[in-house]
Amino acid sequence: MSLLLNLLGPREGFEGGLFLPDFKQATSRRPIENVVARDPLRVPLQVSRTMPTKPEVAVGDSVLRGQRIAALVGTASVSVHAPTSGRVVEIDRVWTAREGFLPCAVIEPDGRDTAAPCNRTWSEESMVLQLAEHGVIVPAPLMPAHELIRQATQAGVTDLIVSAMETEPYLTSDLRTLVEQHGRFLDMTGELADALGVHHVYFALPYRHRRVVKRVCAEAAGRHIEISPLSDRYPQCQPNLLVKTILDREVPPGGTPLDVEAVVVPLTTIRMAADAVFSDRPVTHAIVTVAGDAVEHAGTYRVPIGTSVRQLADRVGLLAPVRQAVWGGPLTGIALTRDETVISADTAAILLFSQVHATNPVPCIRCGWCVEDCPVGLDPAALVQLEPASSADEQTKAHLKTCLDCGLCSYVCPATLPLAATIHRARERFCTTSSHSSGGA
Amino acid sequence: MKADARTIPGGWVALAAPHRLGGSTHLDILRSWTLAAGIVGLCGTVIFGASAAKVLLVAMLSAIATDCIVGYARARPVVGGLSHASLTGLLLGLTLPATVPWYIPAIGSLIAVVFGKIVFGGLGHFCWQPALVGRVVLQLLFLPTLSLSLHPTWPILAPGHLLVGRLDQPQRVEMAGYGGWFAQPHDANVQALAMERPVQTLRAFAQGRFRPDGGLAYEPLLREKLPPWQDSIFGLVPGGIGETCTLALIIAGLYLIYRGFLRWQMPVVMIAAAAVAAALLPVESGGNEGGYDWFPVFAVEQGRAVGVAYVLYHLTSGELMLGAFLIAGDMTTTPMRARGQALFAAGVGVLTIFMRLYGVVECECYWSILAMNTLVGVIDGRLRRRVFGMDEEP
Repeated sequence: MSLLLNLLGPREGFEGGLFLPDFKQATSRRPIENVVARDPLRVPLQVSRTMPTKPEVAVGDSVLRGQRIAALVGTASVSVHAPTSGRVVEIDRVWTAREGFLPCAVIEPDGRDTAAPCNRTWSEESMVLQLAEHGVIVPAPLMPAHELIRQATQAGVTDLIVSAMETEPYLTSDLRTLVEQHGRFLDMTGELADALGVHHVYFALPYRHRRVVKRVCAEAAGRHIEISPLSDRYPQCQPNLLVKTILDREVPPGGTPLDVEAVVVPLTTIRMAADAVFSDRPVTHAIVTVAGDAVEHAGTYRVPIGTSVRQLADRVGLLAPVRQAVWGGPLTGIALTRDETVISADTAAILLFSQVHATNPVPCIRCGWCVEDCPVGLDPAALVQLEPASSADEQTKAHLKTCLDCGLCSYVCPATLPLAATIHRARERFCTTSSHSSGGA
Repeated sequence: MKADARTIPGGWVALAAPHRLGGSTHLDILRSWTLAAGIVGLCGTVIFGASAAKVLLVAMLSAIATDCIVGYARARPVVGGLSHASLTGLLLGLTLPATVPWYIPAIGSLIAVVFGKIVFGGLGHFCWQPALVGRVVLQLLFLPTLSLSLHPTWPILAPGHLLVGRLDQPQRVEMAGYGGWFAQPHDANVQALAMERPVQTLRAFAQGRFRPDGGLAYEPLLREKLPPWQDSIFGLVPGGIGETCTLALIIAGLYLIYRGFLRWQMPVVMIAAAAVAAALLPVESGGNEGGYDWFPVFAVEQGRAVGVAYVLYHLTSGELMLGAFLIAGDMTTTPMRARGQALFAAGVGVLTIFMRLYGVVECECYWSILAMNTLVGVIDGRLRRRVFGMDEEP
C-alpha cells in the first residue's frame, strides 16, 4: 500500500487551488498541551443562538468537571457541560466569535478539577442520544452532530468521508490529534458508518504527512475504511472538493454533499464523539492551535471552553504586541476585535499576528491569477463588478452560490482587491435563501 | 486577572477574510518586469554603446515626466505611477535602434503614456500594450529615420570597442566575406561596423530577391548573407537595442517565469508557433524558376540540413525574442487564463512570420502583438472555465 502511494502520489481531484506556505513547522511537532483553568471561566450556556438550552445551575452552585450545566431543549440542540470543577459565581453573557453574545455561567475553578462520575451504559440505539447529551457538534457549519446524522440518514447517503485535511496554513489541531490518538478515530468512524448505514467509508488525510498516513493505514487494516491520502493543495479541506476528489461527484451550486449522497464529517466531530461514546466524556475542551508571529510558545493546546483569548495569550506568551487576532484559519477565519472572546467548542485555532496584511486596492490589472486558482472555476474579477447592481440573473446567482468562500482570490490578488469579501456580500444580497454549504466541515 | 502590559493593547484590526495575503502586489510585478527589461537594456548598452543608454534614459525620463504631469494636471495619483511609466519607457527604448536622435524616444514615450495608457483610463484599463502603441506611431511618424528599407545597413560596435565605442562612422562590411563579429580584427580606427539586419535579409529572401544559385538557395543565404549563429545568440548583429541579444532575453524571461509573473506558455508557445510557421510557409527564393518552395524546414543542400538553420535564424532575428519574453506577456493586454495566453501567443507567432514573409510593414512582431491584443476579449469569452457543479456553458 505505501509503496503504491509513493509511486502514484496523492489524488488530484479539482482544477485550480494553490499550495500555500503552511507555517506549520512551529506547531506540528509539539504534542498537545493541556491548559489548566486557574482563572474564572465564562462558559457559554448554549453553543449557538439557534440551539436553545435550559440552564441547570444557579449562582453559588458547585459543579464538577463534566457535569451538565445546561440541558438541551428540542431536537436540534446539545447540552453544555462544566469544563472544570468549581463554583458558579455569576450568570452573565459572553462574546463568542461566531455567535456574538451568548448567556454564560462564570465558573471559578477550585483547582482540584474533580470529574463527575461517569455512566458507561452504552448501547448502539442510544448513540445519537448520547451525542446530543454530551454536546457533540459539527464545527462548520455549526450544527449538532446528531442533527447531521439525521439529515444524512434522511438523504440516504451512501458514502461517509471523514476529513482530517487541514490545508489552511498554521492549523495543526487535526494533525496532532491524529498523531496522538489515531486508533480511536477509526473505531468511532466505524461506529458512525454503522449508524448511517453507508456503503463506503473514506478517511481523508494529508498525503504529505507520510508517517501519519502509514500509521493510520496500519490501524485501518482489516476495517472497511479506505484511507485517502490527498494532496494538501488549498482548499482541499472544503467538503465539496473532498467529495469531488474522492467520489468524483460535483455538488450543485448552493448545495451540500448530502445532495450527492455523501456526508463529510470533520475529525473534530469524530474526536468529540469518540470521547462521548467510548469514555462518556462530554465536550468540555477544545483542541486549539495557537500560532502566529506574535506568539512565543506556538503550539496545539487543549483549552477548557470558556477561556478567554486574553487568558490564552497570557498562557502562551507573546513576543510582540498583537495587531490582528484571528479565530480560525488565516484564510477563512473571523477577525477578533475584543480579547474577552471565549474559546467555544467549535474553535480550531487562535492566530495572533503582530502585522496586518493591509490592502491598498487598485484597479484590476487582469493578471488572471484569481481565475486560474479558483477551485470552482469562477471569474472573481468579473463577479465583483456587479456589486453596485440591484439584481443578478440566474446564472450569476448560481455562480455566487458555488463560491466556497475559500479566500484564495483575495489571497493571490496583486491589486489587493477584496474579491472574496465582495463575493460573500453579493451572495448574501442576491441569494437570500441561505442553504449554502451545510453538511460537513 | 492582570494582563501583561505588552500582551494585547486595544485596537485589533478587523478585516474580512482572508487575513494573510500572498504578498505579490502590482508594484512587485512592475518592478520585476523593469528589472528584467533592465538586464536586456544593459546588454544592449554593452553592444551598442553610450548612445543606447541615452535612448533608454530619454525614453524612461520622458515617460515618467509625462505620467507625473498628467497626474498633476488631473490632481489624482496615477496608479502604479513611476513603476509603470518607467517600464513603458524602458520597453519602448528597447525596441528602438541606438542611432535615433534623442527626440524620437522622447516623443515615443509621450505617445505611449498618453495614447497608450491615459486615454484608456490608466493601469489595468488599456487594451493595447502602451509601449508598442508608442513604437508603431513612431514608425509611422519617423518613417525616413526608422525604416529598414531606407536604411539598409545599421551600425554595431566593432570588437575592442564594446560599451565605449561610437556608432557615428561605421565601416561598411559585406556579408559575403564576413566571418562573424568575433573574427573581425581589432582596429583602433574602426569603432563600428555597418551591415544589413538579418531580418531584412530573410524578408528579401522570402520575397524572391535572391535567385537560386545553381540549384542551391538556402546554402548561399546562410553562408553569404547572414552572420554566423553565435552572433545572433550574443546579439552582435544590428537591430533595436533590446532586440538582438537572445541570451539576455532568455535570462530575463526565465527570471520573470521564476517569479511567477510571466506564464511559460507565452514565450514557449509563441516561439514554437513562429518556428512551425517558418518551417512550413513557402518562400519564393527557395524554389526553382521563381516558384514557391513549401516546407523550407525539410530543405537539404549539399548534405546539410539547411532548412533547420533557416528556421532558427527566423527565431533569433528581428523582434520576435523581445516580443516573446518581455513585451507580449504584459498582463493587462493578454488573456486571463494560461490556455488563452497560449492561443494568443500562437496567433502572435504565426502572424509575425506571415507578415515577415509576405508583408510590407516592418516591426511585424509589434504589429501582430497589437493585432492579437485586439482579440483578447474574444479569446477570454471563448475560454471560460467550467463552473463546478454546473453544466457546460455555451
